[in-house]
Order: sequence, then structure tokens, then C-alpha cells
Amino acid sequence: MANTIEFTNIWKRFKRGERATSLRDLIPKIFRKLSNNHKEQDNTFWALKDVSFEVKKGEALGIIGPNGAGKSTVLKILSRVMKPSRGSIKINGRLSALIEVSAGFHPDLTGRENIYLNGSIMNMSRKEINKKFDAIVEFSGLEEFLDTPVKRYSSGMFARLGFSVAAHIDPEVLLVDEVLSVGDMVFQAKCADRIRQLKNSGTTIIFVSHNLIAVQNICSRAILLMNGKIEKAGSPDEVISLYHDYVFTQQEERLRNKLLNATNIDKSKRDHLVEIKDVVLCDGNGSIKRQFNSNEDISVRIYYSAKTSIRRPIFSLGVVRADGVNCFSSDTRLNGAVVEAIEGEGVIEAHFSRLNLGHGIYSLNISVWDEHMLAPYAVRRVDTFRIKTDKTLLNNPDIFIPDVIWNNVEADS
Amino acid sequence: MLEMIKELIKYRELLWNLAIRDIRVRYKQTLLGIAWAVFSPLSMMLIFTFVFSKVAIIKNTGDIPYPIFVYCGLLPWTFFASALKLATTSLVANPSLITKIYFPREVFPLSVIISWLVDFFVSLVILFGLMAYFKVSFHWTILLMPLMLFFQILFMIGLGFFLSMGNLFYRDVKYIFEVIIMLWMFATSVVYPIKTDSKILQDILMLNPMTHIINAYRDLLIRGHIPDISTLTLPITIILIIFLSGWFWFHKAEFLFAENI
Repeated sequence: MANTIEFTNIWKRFKRGERATSLRDLIPKIFRKLSNNHKEQDNTFWALKDVSFEVKKGEALGIIGPNGAGKSTVLKILSRVMKPSRGSIKINGRLSALIEVSAGFHPDLTGRENIYLNGSIMNMSRKEINKKFDAIVEFSGLEEFLDTPVKRYSSGMFARLGFSVAAHIDPEVLLVDEVLSVGDMVFQAKCADRIRQLKNSGTTIIFVSHNLIAVQNICSRAILLMNGKIEKAGSPDEVISLYHDYVFTQQEERLRNKLLNATNIDKSKRDHLVEIKDVVLCDGNGSIKRQFNSNEDISVRIYYSAKTSIRRPIFSLGVVRADGVNCFSSDTRLNGAVVEAIEGEGVIEAHFSRLNLGHGIYSLNISVWDEHMLAPYAVRRVDTFRIKTDKTLLNNPDIFIPDVIWNNVEADS
Repeated sequence: MLEMIKELIKYRELLWNLAIRDIRVRYKQTLLGIAWAVFSPLSMMLIFTFVFSKVAIIKNTGDIPYPIFVYCGLLPWTFFASALKLATTSLVANPSLITKIYFPREVFPLSVIISWLVDFFVSLVILFGLMAYFKVSFHWTILLMPLMLFFQILFMIGLGFFLSMGNLFYRDVKYIFEVIIMLWMFATSVVYPIKTDSKILQDILMLNPMTHIINAYRDLLIRGHIPDISTLTLPITIILIIFLSGWFWFHKAEFLFAENI
């Protein structure tokens, strides 16, 4: 089948900083340029670096990536608002964009007037709008306010009207940029339905979103864009899980930095009678790791050194999820492995046959206490680890994954 | 060229809707509404009539009563000046459309000019009323007036392209233009016939297409004779050059608008 969109080796350069927009700024700038030849530093950056992709007719392509990766620039180039610095694009078919759907509204005009205005901005003919007018109004749910100037609308109503107009174009190629977050839940569901409906009727869709579930549901292929480059292209599952990886790595790093900064402050508590030298995590085979599957064995080894003899110390261990949720804590009192006394260097280990924690980043909270657990000798809060599950795609991960077996129990048995 | 026209035809309804938007918005929440279209040239006429007949020396306007002479000059001039002033800021006033949605950017200055055309026609009706009041006879040459209007609009479109584009890149253009349009009015035969004793100055002043256009309006609407074609060839050439170069330049720079606004 023919490609509807061919986006070939696109480069796009932008200027950083403020451009001279008045003669007052321009004239000195010209003089500066003339006096020190080409000395001005390069104030440009590449927003897209050699990005290529193709979309076949009727396909839905998702573009995901962190802020500033170049997603919007891709859309702007596709919708011809901007020209690429290098490279070529080919689009076959009538294109329309669900981007800034209410950009064309004039606050002083009524809803009715704005429907016609916005429709024509999106290249619909008057006849076409007449035909679809009732459907648009019904979709927006704003029948009562049609003859009210839109400046009196709430921002939700404003956006709903915009989306309703845009959603009723029958494009061959549809660009969607993060518009599903408009309006209330009912309206959002309506929007998603409409996009799915367009997709089923053979519309080629390019879908840019941070809502990974929506990308997974709608798209048949996805691209991960990072720093202006395509990091990965493939099935949505693959691409999204890679993106998840990236997000979690970032999160882990941020968490570790935060923890390191925090411990520097409360280090001077007791005069270091006990010091936690190191903490190491290993799996069931004893190999050291920082990333585990949910069903893997985990051992936490605590290396300590005590300056004097300490009677019946208590080692405690807490696990905190990256967002601050306390998952559990445990200490040596609980399972009877009471340490009579420590002196000098030693190791103590906590073994979990499986942690049953959900996908995410966790930090360890390790302390050594006196026998009544009144005050800690040492506290360590710098270790992090990561749990991966097969179900990596949920935006809001489960905190706990129990072993569940579902059975179909007959009523009479 | 053909493609540029084709694209505009494709978006003609947008052009129309934007023009209607401009008109609606201009007179919404005003008490007098479209009557303001008449009020401003009419009040200017009264002021100039008073100033030039009672205060300053009366200029020789030939056979036409001075109020008619002034009004017939102010009519195209108000259209020219008001529409161009707004056309200058037409791109800058719509940043969200320019950075987000694609359509030919030409529609912005064009729709402003079209919207002021409505005001022009309303004031034209008043001119006919004034002519009847001052017992100026109507001639068949009135029918040729649209031709002059056509060239005036081409001139305005060309200038509108340059000004709106210039103002997008350098916001000084708006302020410079406000000064220029004031000077320009007095260098044009709006409120008096242009005549100086200096031959060179006269030649320079005659390069101004607006003087020729306004003179032609007076010839066609009031005096009832056809303007001398030989004097019109130079201004019409200037108009065509400005129109075509403005359009081409605008079209070439269009894709830079989104990143420079």
C-alpha cells in the first residue's frame, strides 16, 4: 500500500534566545557583527536531527517522548506551519490537525459564529459546516449557549466547542496533539471514541501524547523521540516499555541525588559508634543487581562496623516507593534472628523469597538501633532499586502484586 | 503564481469569514454600530470644511463645492489609511493561528482590507446623498468608479503584504507607518488639490499613486469626465509592481512567520 506520509531525513534548527524584533536591537547587532567578524557564538540548536518515518494509509502512528524532544516540531512541520531546515516531506491527502482546537475563536463572537469561523480556518466549506452543524452542536453539548459570545464561556466549554468542530472534519490524515485532556471525563471518552471511529473508517492518524495508555490503545506503531532523534520505532508495546525504562532511570537518579543530599545533613547525630559501610542487593544466585523482577529472590546485605561492643542491636529495613509511599518495614526483632552483640566489622542479611512489589523505583531505609529502639546508631537512606514487572504499561502501577489464583467454582460443588 | 491563486481560491470562504469576523467585532458592543463607518469621514469633512473655508485661505477647488471635494477625497483615503493600519498588525494579532494552524497567511491582510470595503461602500452612499444635497449632477462615469477602486485595492494589498510582514519581523514598522500615513495624507490631494510652483517637487508628488486615484475618483464621480489615461499609466505601473512584488515576497517569507512572530 502507498505511503500517506513520508517524512524523510528532517532536520530543524531553531535560534536560542531572543531575536531582535525592533530596529533598536537590530542596529547595534549589525554593528557588532561587522566589527568582530563571525565571532558571535552559535546561538542555534537542532530540534530535530535526521528524523525519518513513513506512515501507511490507514495506519495510526504514536509519537511519544519527554518534553522538548521535538514532538511538536514534527507536528508543525507535518502541518506545514514550519518548513524543515533540511529534508523533505510528502503527504498524500487532506490533512487536518487536532492541535490548539480553539485557536481560531474570537471571544466577541457567539458560539454559532465561531463554529463557522473555526470550520473555515480548518478548511471546511460553508456547505459542509451547514451539513454537520447539528452534529457539532450535539457533540459539544452546548445547545443552550450557542448564541452567547464565547468570552462568557468557561474554559472547558471553550475547549469542547473547539474540539467538536475539529472532530467533524473528515480528513484523510489526522494529526492529534494532546487534546484528549480537554473537558470532563464524559467528554474525554467521547473524544477517544471519535478518534477510534475515524481510525476505523481508514483515516491515517499521527498521535502525539503523554498518555501512554491512549497511545497503546489507538496506535499500531509508535516512535520514541528523544533530543530530536528517533530513539526507537516499533510496536507500541516495545517503544512504550523502552520509554518507561528511560523515565524510571531518570526517576531513580533524581531519587538517589535527593537521598544523598538529605543524608549529608543528619550525619552528625551520634558519634558513629556504628557505621553502615555498604549495602548490597543480590538475587537468589548471589549476583549483585539493582534491578529485579517482581518474582525474584532479593537479599539485602548490610555491611557494618562497630567501634565498641554493642549489646543486642536491632537492624531495621524499610522500603519506600519513589513517590514517598511506605511499603513495609521489618527489623531483626521480628523473625527472631536476634544479634547478641556486635563489635568490629560484620555483615547481616535480609532475605526475601519474593517481594511482590509493583513496578517502580524504591529506596531502602536502613538503620541500626539500640536494644530498646529508642535512638538509631546509624541511618542510611541512599540505596535504591528497581522492580520490573511484565505488566509495565500501567500508568498507575500496583503497589502490591499478590499471588492470585482465580477459579471457576461450580455452585453445587 | 497560478498555485498561489489556486490556494487562495481554496481558502476563499476563510477569507470571507475572517472579513465578516472583523466587521462584526469592530461594531459589536457599540451603540451606533455600522453608523460609525459614516461618522468618521463625515466629521473629518466638517472639520476640514470649517478649517479651510473659515480659518485658512480657501483653496481653489474649481467647480465643485468644497465639502463635496473634501468628502470625495476623504472617502478613499479613510479606506486606505484605516485598512492599512489594521493590515499592518493583522499577522501579529493572531499569533496562535500563525504558530499552530496552516492556511495561506495572505488571508490576514486581505481579510482586513475586505472588511473595510464595507465601510467604504456605506460612506459612498452618503457621498451620493451629499451630492444630491449640493445639487451636483450625477454622470454615467460613476459606473467606471469600480475600476479605480480595483487599482486602489491592488495597491493596498501590495502595501498590506509588505507592512504586515515587516511588522512581524520588526515591530517598529507599525509606529513608522503611523507617522508616514499622516505625512502621506498631506502629500496627497485629499483635502486640497496638489499644486506647487517647484517643478521637481511637483514631479515627485505626482509619483504618489494615491493622488492620481483620488483625482480620478473626483473626475468620475463628480466632474463626470474620464481621467487622462496617459497620466494614469505611471501610477498604475507602480501599483502593479508593488502588488506583485509584495505578494511574491510575502509568499516566500510565509513559512518563516511561525518561528519569528
